[in-house]
Amino acid sequence: MDERLQAALDFSNYQQTFSIQRKTLKEKIEAKLTYGFNGGLFRIDKNLLTFVEVISAKRSNGVVLMDANDNPILIDDLEAFKDEIFSRYFEATNEYYKQYQQLKKSRSVEKLIA
Amino acid sequence: MTTGILVYAHNSRSLDYALMSLIAAGLAKKNLNVPVSLVTDPSTVEWMRESNILEKATSVFENLIIVERPITDNQRKLCDGKNESMVPFVNTNRASAYDLTPYNRTLLIDSDYFIFSNRLSEYWNIDDDVLIGQSINDIYSGDRLGYNDRYISEVGIKLYWATTVMFSKTPRAKTFFDTVNFVKENYKHYADIFRFDNRQYRNDIAFSVAKHILDGFINLDSGRLPPVLTTLDKDILASVEDNKLTFLISTPLGEKYIPASITDTDIHIMNKQSIIRHGSQLLEMI
Repeated sequence: MDERLQAALDFSNYQQTFSIQRKTLKEKIEAKLTYGFNGGLFRIDKNLLTFVEVISAKRSNGVVLMDANDNPILIDDLEAFKDEIFSRYFEATNEYYKQYQQLKKSRSVEKLIA
Repeated sequence: MTTGILVYAHNSRSLDYALMSLIAAGLAKKNLNVPVSLVTDPSTVEWMRESNILEKATSVFENLIIVERPITDNQRKLCDGKNESMVPFVNTNRASAYDLTPYNRTLLIDSDYFIFSNRLSEYWNIDDDVLIGQSINDIYSGDRLGYNDRYISEVGIKLYWATTVMFSKTPRAKTFFDTVNFVKENYKHYADIFRFDNRQYRNDIAFSVAKHILDGFINLDSGRLPPVLTTLDKDILASVEDNKLTFLISTPLGEKYIPASITDTDIHIMNKQSIIRHGSQLLEMI
Protein backbone atom coordinates (compact mmCIF):
# COMPACT_ATOMS: atom_id res chain seq x y z
CA MET A 1 0.00 0.00 0.00
CA ASP A 2 1.17 3.54 -0.80
CA GLU A 3 2.95 4.96 2.28
CA ARG A 4 1.04 8.22 2.04
CA LEU A 5 -2.21 6.29 1.92
CA GLN A 6 -1.19 4.27 4.97
CA ALA A 7 -0.21 7.45 6.85
CA ALA A 8 -3.45 9.15 5.88
CA LEU A 9 -5.46 6.10 6.94
CA ASP A 10 -3.72 6.13 10.31
CA PHE A 11 -4.54 9.76 11.04
CA SER A 12 -7.74 10.26 9.18
CA ASN A 13 -10.95 11.33 10.72
CA TYR A 14 -13.57 8.66 10.15
CA GLN A 15 -16.38 11.16 9.82
CA GLN A 16 -14.70 13.11 7.03
CA THR A 17 -14.30 10.00 4.95
CA PHE A 18 -17.86 9.00 5.78
CA SER A 19 -19.10 12.39 4.55
CA ILE A 20 -17.25 12.11 1.25
CA GLN A 21 -18.48 8.53 0.73
CA ARG A 22 -22.04 9.61 1.45
CA LYS A 23 -21.72 12.56 -0.90
CA THR A 24 -20.43 10.44 -3.78
CA LEU A 25 -23.12 7.84 -3.10
CA LYS A 26 -25.80 10.55 -3.30
CA GLU A 27 -24.18 11.75 -6.52
CA LYS A 28 -24.45 8.25 -7.97
CA ILE A 29 -28.11 7.96 -6.99
CA GLU A 30 -28.87 11.46 -8.27
CA ALA A 31 -27.53 10.37 -11.65
CA LYS A 32 -29.91 7.42 -11.69
CA LEU A 33 -32.85 9.70 -10.91
CA THR A 34 -32.26 11.91 -13.95
CA TYR A 35 -34.42 10.96 -16.91
CA GLY A 36 -34.18 12.45 -20.38
CA PHE A 37 -37.43 12.02 -22.27
CA ASN A 38 -38.81 13.50 -25.48
CA GLY A 39 -36.41 16.45 -25.45
CA GLY A 40 -36.96 17.23 -21.78
CA LEU A 41 -35.08 16.38 -18.62
CA PHE A 42 -36.91 15.07 -15.59
CA ARG A 43 -35.72 14.67 -12.05
CA ILE A 44 -37.49 11.67 -10.62
CA ASP A 45 -38.52 12.75 -7.14
CA LYS A 46 -41.54 12.61 -4.85
CA ASN A 47 -43.18 15.53 -6.62
CA LEU A 48 -42.97 14.03 -10.07
CA LEU A 49 -44.04 10.56 -8.92
CA THR A 50 -47.03 11.85 -6.98
CA PHE A 51 -48.13 14.24 -9.71
CA VAL A 52 -47.91 11.62 -12.42
CA GLU A 53 -49.81 9.13 -10.25
CA VAL A 54 -52.58 11.70 -9.67
CA ILE A 55 -53.00 12.85 -13.24
CA SER A 56 -52.81 9.33 -14.65
CA ALA A 57 -56.17 8.71 -12.97
CA LYS A 58 -57.62 11.54 -15.07
CA ARG A 59 -55.89 11.10 -18.39
CA SER A 60 -53.51 8.65 -20.01
CA ASN A 61 -52.54 10.15 -23.38
CA GLY A 62 -51.26 13.48 -24.61
CA VAL A 63 -50.35 14.93 -21.24
CA VAL A 64 -47.97 17.88 -20.95
CA LEU A 65 -45.55 17.89 -18.03
CA MET A 66 -43.05 20.56 -16.98
CA ASP A 67 -39.52 19.20 -16.94
CA ALA A 68 -36.65 20.16 -14.62
CA ASN A 69 -36.14 23.40 -16.58
CA ASP A 70 -39.87 24.16 -16.59
CA ASN A 71 -40.11 23.39 -20.29
CA PRO A 72 -43.44 21.82 -21.37
CA ILE A 73 -42.89 18.27 -22.58
CA LEU A 74 -45.57 16.21 -24.30
CA ILE A 75 -46.00 12.73 -22.86
CA ASP A 76 -47.88 10.66 -25.40
CA ASP A 77 -48.19 7.52 -23.32
CA LEU A 78 -48.44 8.49 -19.67
CA GLU A 79 -48.73 4.89 -18.42
CA ALA A 80 -45.42 3.93 -20.03
CA PHE A 81 -43.81 7.09 -18.66
CA LYS A 82 -45.18 6.34 -15.20
CA ASP A 83 -43.91 2.76 -15.30
CA GLU A 84 -40.47 3.97 -16.33
CA ILE A 85 -40.08 6.61 -13.61
CA PHE A 86 -41.40 4.33 -10.88
CA SER A 87 -39.10 1.55 -12.01
CA ARG A 88 -36.09 3.89 -12.02
CA TYR A 89 -37.08 5.31 -8.64
CA PHE A 90 -37.36 1.89 -6.98
CA GLU A 91 -34.11 0.72 -8.51
CA ALA A 92 -32.21 3.83 -7.42
CA THR A 93 -33.63 4.07 -3.91
CA ASN A 94 -33.15 0.35 -3.26
CA GLU A 95 -29.53 0.69 -4.29
CA TYR A 96 -29.20 3.83 -2.14
CA TYR A 97 -30.62 1.99 0.87
CA LYS A 98 -28.39 -1.02 0.38
CA GLN A 99 -25.22 0.99 -0.08
CA TYR A 100 -26.07 3.41 2.72
CA GLN A 101 -26.58 0.53 5.14
CA GLN A 102 -23.21 -0.80 4.07
CA LEU A 103 -21.64 2.62 4.77
CA LYS A 104 -23.29 2.86 8.19
CA LYS A 105 -22.00 -0.59 9.11
CA SER A 106 -18.45 0.33 8.17
CA ARG A 107 -16.82 1.36 11.41
CA SER A 108 -13.35 2.10 10.11
CA VAL A 109 -11.91 4.21 7.32
CA GLU A 110 -10.52 1.08 5.68
CA LYS A 111 -13.97 -0.48 5.55
CA LEU A 112 -15.59 2.75 4.30
CA ILE A 113 -13.38 2.86 1.22
CA ALA A 114 -13.25 -0.91 0.65
CA MET B 1 -28.84 11.10 -35.82
CA THR B 2 -25.24 10.11 -35.11
CA THR B 3 -23.97 10.62 -31.58
CA GLY B 4 -20.41 10.44 -30.37
CA ILE B 5 -17.72 11.81 -28.13
CA LEU B 6 -14.86 14.12 -29.01
CA VAL B 7 -11.62 14.41 -27.04
CA TYR B 8 -8.63 16.68 -27.66
CA ALA B 9 -5.02 15.70 -26.95
CA HIS B 10 -1.92 17.77 -27.62
CA ASN B 11 1.02 16.39 -25.68
CA SER B 12 3.35 18.63 -23.79
CA ARG B 13 6.82 17.86 -22.47
CA SER B 14 5.36 17.55 -18.98
CA LEU B 15 2.13 15.65 -19.49
CA ASP B 16 1.11 12.64 -21.54
CA TYR B 17 -2.21 13.88 -22.85
CA ALA B 18 -2.22 11.07 -25.41
CA LEU B 19 -2.43 8.48 -22.65
CA MET B 20 -5.02 10.48 -20.67
CA SER B 21 -7.21 10.94 -23.74
CA LEU B 22 -7.04 7.23 -24.47
CA ILE B 23 -8.20 6.38 -20.95
CA ALA B 24 -10.94 9.03 -21.01
CA ALA B 25 -12.11 7.87 -24.44
CA GLY B 26 -12.08 4.20 -23.55
CA LEU B 27 -14.12 4.74 -20.41
CA ALA B 28 -16.58 7.04 -22.17
CA LYS B 29 -17.04 4.61 -25.03
CA LYS B 30 -17.54 1.69 -22.64
CA ASN B 31 -20.04 3.42 -20.37
CA LEU B 32 -21.98 5.57 -22.85
CA ASN B 33 -21.80 3.03 -25.66
CA VAL B 34 -21.10 5.54 -28.44
CA PRO B 35 -18.05 6.04 -30.67
CA VAL B 36 -15.22 8.42 -29.78
CA SER B 37 -13.01 10.54 -32.01
CA LEU B 38 -9.74 12.22 -31.11
CA VAL B 39 -8.50 15.62 -32.25
CA THR B 40 -4.73 15.58 -32.10
CA ASP B 41 -1.56 16.60 -33.93
CA PRO B 42 1.27 14.75 -35.73
CA SER B 43 3.75 14.96 -32.85
CA THR B 44 1.22 13.52 -30.39
CA VAL B 45 0.48 10.64 -32.78
CA GLU B 46 4.23 10.07 -33.06
CA TRP B 47 4.42 9.94 -29.28
CA MET B 48 1.59 7.38 -29.23
CA ARG B 49 3.65 5.24 -31.60
CA GLU B 50 6.79 5.59 -29.47
CA SER B 51 4.94 4.82 -26.26
CA ASN B 52 3.21 1.78 -27.80
CA ILE B 53 -0.36 2.97 -27.36
CA LEU B 54 -1.10 3.76 -31.01
CA GLU B 55 -2.53 0.31 -31.71
CA LYS B 56 -4.83 0.58 -28.70
CA ALA B 57 -5.74 4.13 -29.76
CA THR B 58 -6.76 3.06 -33.24
CA SER B 59 -9.05 0.43 -31.74
CA VAL B 60 -10.64 2.84 -29.25
CA PHE B 61 -10.97 5.91 -31.47
CA GLU B 62 -13.29 5.81 -34.44
CA ASN B 63 -11.35 8.69 -36.03
CA LEU B 64 -8.00 10.33 -35.41
CA ILE B 65 -8.56 13.88 -36.60
CA ILE B 66 -5.14 15.36 -37.22
CA VAL B 67 -4.87 19.13 -36.96
CA GLU B 68 -2.03 21.59 -36.69
CA ARG B 69 -0.75 21.86 -33.15
CA PRO B 70 -1.99 25.17 -31.69
CA ILE B 71 0.73 27.69 -30.98
CA THR B 72 0.34 29.00 -27.46
CA ASP B 73 2.45 30.22 -24.59
CA ASN B 74 -0.24 29.23 -22.10
CA GLN B 75 1.33 28.02 -18.89
CA ARG B 76 -0.37 26.93 -15.76
CA LYS B 77 0.59 26.02 -12.22
CA LEU B 78 -0.30 22.41 -11.64
CA CYS B 79 -0.08 20.57 -8.35
CA ASP B 80 0.64 16.93 -7.81
CA GLY B 81 -0.42 16.68 -4.21
CA LYS B 82 1.90 19.08 -2.41
CA ASN B 83 4.33 19.46 -5.33
CA GLU B 84 3.86 22.35 -7.72
CA SER B 85 5.16 22.94 -11.21
CA MET B 86 4.47 25.21 -14.17
CA VAL B 87 3.37 23.24 -17.20
CA PRO B 88 2.55 24.27 -20.77
CA PHE B 89 -1.12 23.98 -21.60
CA VAL B 90 -2.00 23.38 -25.27
CA ASN B 91 -5.77 23.63 -25.34
CA THR B 92 -6.62 26.80 -27.21
CA ASN B 93 -8.33 25.12 -30.18
CA ARG B 94 -11.40 23.73 -28.40
CA ALA B 95 -13.67 26.09 -30.32
CA SER B 96 -12.91 24.08 -33.47
CA ALA B 97 -15.00 21.19 -32.09
CA TYR B 98 -18.07 22.23 -34.05
CA ASP B 99 -16.23 22.08 -37.38
CA LEU B 100 -14.22 18.96 -36.59
CA THR B 101 -16.77 16.65 -35.02
CA PRO B 102 -18.03 13.88 -37.27
CA TYR B 103 -21.22 13.54 -35.20
CA ASN B 104 -24.60 15.27 -35.29
CA ARG B 105 -24.73 15.31 -31.52
CA THR B 106 -21.37 15.49 -29.75
CA LEU B 107 -20.21 15.20 -26.18
CA LEU B 108 -16.94 17.07 -25.86
CA ILE B 109 -14.95 16.06 -22.78
CA ASP B 110 -11.60 16.96 -21.29
CA SER B 111 -9.00 14.22 -21.28
CA ASP B 112 -8.97 14.24 -17.48
CA TYR B 113 -12.72 13.59 -17.23
CA PHE B 114 -13.44 9.92 -16.68
CA ILE B 115 -16.91 8.57 -17.33
CA PHE B 116 -17.91 5.60 -15.19
CA SER B 117 -21.71 5.85 -15.51
CA ASN B 118 -24.30 6.37 -18.23
CA ARG B 119 -25.61 9.59 -16.64
CA LEU B 120 -24.79 11.77 -19.64
CA SER B 121 -26.78 9.44 -21.94
CA GLU B 122 -29.92 11.10 -20.61
CA TYR B 123 -28.83 14.33 -22.32
CA TRP B 124 -28.42 13.14 -25.92
CA ASN B 125 -31.99 14.05 -26.82
CA ILE B 126 -32.46 17.19 -24.75
CA ASP B 127 -33.81 20.03 -26.88
CA ASP B 128 -30.94 22.44 -26.08
CA ASP B 129 -28.42 22.83 -28.91
CA VAL B 130 -25.53 23.49 -26.52
CA LEU B 131 -25.15 22.30 -22.93
CA ILE B 132 -22.19 22.97 -20.63
CA GLY B 133 -21.16 21.66 -17.21
CA GLN B 134 -23.08 23.97 -14.91
CA SER B 135 -20.52 24.14 -12.10
CA ILE B 136 -17.75 22.37 -10.30
CA ASN B 137 -18.76 19.94 -7.56
CA ASP B 138 -15.80 19.43 -5.26
CA ILE B 139 -15.71 15.87 -3.96
CA TYR B 140 -14.77 17.17 -0.49
CA SER B 141 -17.08 20.16 0.03
CA GLY B 142 -17.53 23.70 -1.15
CA ASP B 143 -15.00 24.90 1.42
CA ARG B 144 -12.06 24.35 -0.87
CA LEU B 145 -13.48 26.36 -3.75
CA GLY B 146 -12.83 30.02 -4.33
CA TYR B 147 -14.90 32.72 -5.96
CA ASN B 148 -12.99 32.15 -9.19
CA ASP B 149 -14.22 28.56 -9.29
CA ARG B 150 -17.80 29.80 -9.41
CA TYR B 151 -17.55 33.08 -11.31
CA ILE B 152 -15.19 34.23 -14.02
CA SER B 153 -13.99 37.02 -11.70
CA GLU B 154 -14.84 38.74 -8.43
CA VAL B 155 -17.35 40.95 -10.25
CA GLY B 156 -18.00 38.69 -13.20
CA ILE B 157 -20.61 36.33 -14.50
CA LYS B 158 -21.24 32.69 -13.62
CA LEU B 159 -18.44 30.30 -14.57
CA TYR B 160 -19.47 27.21 -16.53
CA TRP B 161 -17.09 24.26 -16.77
CA ALA B 162 -16.19 23.30 -20.32
CA THR B 163 -14.95 19.95 -18.97
CA THR B 164 -18.19 18.62 -20.44
CA VAL B 165 -19.95 20.23 -23.41
CA MET B 166 -22.70 18.67 -25.48
CA PHE B 167 -23.83 20.19 -28.76
CA SER B 168 -25.72 19.51 -31.98
CA LYS B 169 -24.81 20.40 -35.53
CA THR B 170 -27.23 23.29 -35.77
CA PRO B 171 -26.93 26.96 -36.73
CA ARG B 172 -27.45 27.91 -33.08
CA ALA B 173 -24.54 25.74 -31.96
CA LYS B 174 -22.37 27.05 -34.80
CA THR B 175 -23.06 30.59 -33.61
CA PHE B 176 -22.07 29.51 -30.13
CA PHE B 177 -18.70 28.10 -31.21
CA ASP B 178 -18.08 31.08 -33.50
CA THR B 179 -18.68 33.29 -30.47
CA VAL B 180 -16.28 31.24 -28.33
CA ASN B 181 -13.68 31.71 -31.07
CA PHE B 182 -14.39 35.44 -31.25
CA VAL B 183 -14.00 35.75 -27.48
CA LYS B 184 -10.72 33.85 -27.70
CA GLU B 185 -9.40 36.11 -30.47
CA ASN B 186 -10.42 39.20 -28.51
CA TYR B 187 -9.62 37.84 -25.07
CA LYS B 188 -8.10 41.07 -23.72
CA HIS B 189 -11.11 43.08 -24.82
CA TYR B 190 -13.56 40.69 -23.11
CA ALA B 191 -11.32 40.59 -20.04
CA ASP B 192 -11.74 44.36 -19.80
CA ILE B 193 -15.51 44.10 -20.14
CA PHE B 194 -16.07 41.12 -17.85
CA ARG B 195 -13.13 41.91 -15.56
CA PHE B 196 -11.43 38.53 -15.65
CA ASP B 197 -7.72 37.73 -15.50
CA ASN B 198 -6.51 37.45 -19.09
CA ARG B 199 -2.92 36.41 -18.41
CA GLN B 200 -3.68 32.92 -19.61
CA TYR B 201 -6.42 31.73 -21.91
CA ARG B 202 -9.01 29.56 -20.25
CA ASN B 203 -11.67 27.63 -22.19
CA ASP B 204 -14.09 27.71 -19.26
CA ILE B 205 -14.10 31.51 -19.37
CA ALA B 206 -14.45 31.78 -23.16
CA PHE B 207 -17.34 29.28 -23.11
CA SER B 208 -18.99 31.07 -20.17
CA VAL B 209 -18.78 34.47 -21.85
CA ALA B 210 -20.15 33.04 -25.11
CA LYS B 211 -23.04 31.39 -23.26
CA HIS B 212 -23.78 34.59 -21.36
CA ILE B 213 -23.87 36.63 -24.57
CA LEU B 214 -26.04 34.13 -26.46
CA ASP B 215 -28.38 33.70 -23.50
CA GLY B 216 -29.18 37.40 -23.92
CA PHE B 217 -26.87 38.64 -21.14
CA ILE B 218 -28.92 36.91 -18.46
CA ASN B 219 -28.39 33.82 -16.34
CA LEU B 220 -30.58 31.09 -17.86
CA ASP B 221 -31.33 27.72 -16.28
CA SER B 222 -31.23 25.92 -19.61
CA GLY B 223 -28.22 24.55 -21.47
CA ARG B 224 -26.69 22.97 -18.41
CA LEU B 225 -25.02 19.62 -17.91
CA PRO B 226 -24.71 18.23 -14.37
CA PRO B 227 -22.13 19.75 -12.01
CA VAL B 228 -18.70 18.30 -12.66
CA LEU B 229 -17.69 16.11 -9.71
CA THR B 230 -14.03 16.94 -9.23
CA THR B 231 -10.94 16.03 -7.27
CA LEU B 232 -8.53 18.97 -7.16
CA ASP B 233 -4.90 18.81 -8.21
CA LYS B 234 -3.79 18.84 -4.59
CA ASP B 235 -5.67 15.55 -4.18
CA ILE B 236 -3.92 12.35 -5.15
CA LEU B 237 -5.24 9.35 -7.02
CA ALA B 238 -3.73 6.71 -4.74
CA SER B 239 -4.91 3.45 -6.23
CA VAL B 240 -6.97 1.90 -8.99
CA GLU B 241 -8.41 -1.54 -8.36
CA ASP B 242 -11.17 -3.34 -10.23
CA ASN B 243 -13.80 -0.66 -10.71
CA LYS B 244 -12.74 1.50 -7.77
CA LEU B 245 -10.61 4.64 -7.61
CA THR B 246 -9.18 5.56 -4.21
CA PHE B 247 -8.11 9.13 -3.58
CA LEU B 248 -6.29 11.02 -0.89
CA ILE B 249 -8.35 14.17 -0.52
CA SER B 250 -6.48 17.17 0.82
CA THR B 251 -8.22 19.04 3.64
CA PRO B 252 -8.86 22.77 3.06
CA LEU B 253 -5.70 23.87 4.84
CA GLY B 254 -3.69 21.00 3.39
CA GLU B 255 -2.68 19.68 6.79
CA LYS B 256 -3.68 16.10 6.05
CA TYR B 257 -5.30 13.78 3.57
CA ILE B 258 -8.69 12.09 3.85
CA PRO B 259 -9.04 8.76 2.05
CA ALA B 260 -12.11 8.36 -0.16
CA SER B 261 -13.13 6.03 -2.95
CA ILE B 262 -15.58 6.10 -5.83
CA THR B 263 -17.19 3.54 -8.09
CA ASP B 264 -19.56 3.98 -11.03
CA THR B 265 -19.41 7.78 -10.78
CA ASP B 266 -18.09 10.22 -13.39
CA ILE B 267 -15.09 12.13 -12.08
CA HIS B 268 -12.84 15.00 -13.16
CA ILE B 269 -9.32 14.34 -11.88
CA MET B 270 -7.30 17.53 -11.90
CA ASN B 271 -4.10 15.89 -10.68
CA LYS B 272 -2.93 14.78 -14.10
CA GLN B 273 0.39 13.39 -12.93
CA SER B 274 -1.41 10.94 -10.67
CA ILE B 275 -3.53 9.80 -13.62
CA ILE B 276 -0.34 9.10 -15.58
CA ARG B 277 1.14 7.15 -12.66
CA HIS B 278 -1.88 4.84 -12.74
CA GLY B 279 -2.12 4.80 -16.53
CA SER B 280 -1.68 1.06 -16.98
CA GLN B 281 -4.31 0.15 -14.34
CA LEU B 282 -6.74 2.69 -15.81
CA LEU B 283 -6.17 1.31 -19.29
CA GLU B 284 -7.16 -2.12 -18.00
CA MET B 285 -10.59 -0.70 -17.12
CA ILE B 286 -11.48 0.27 -20.68
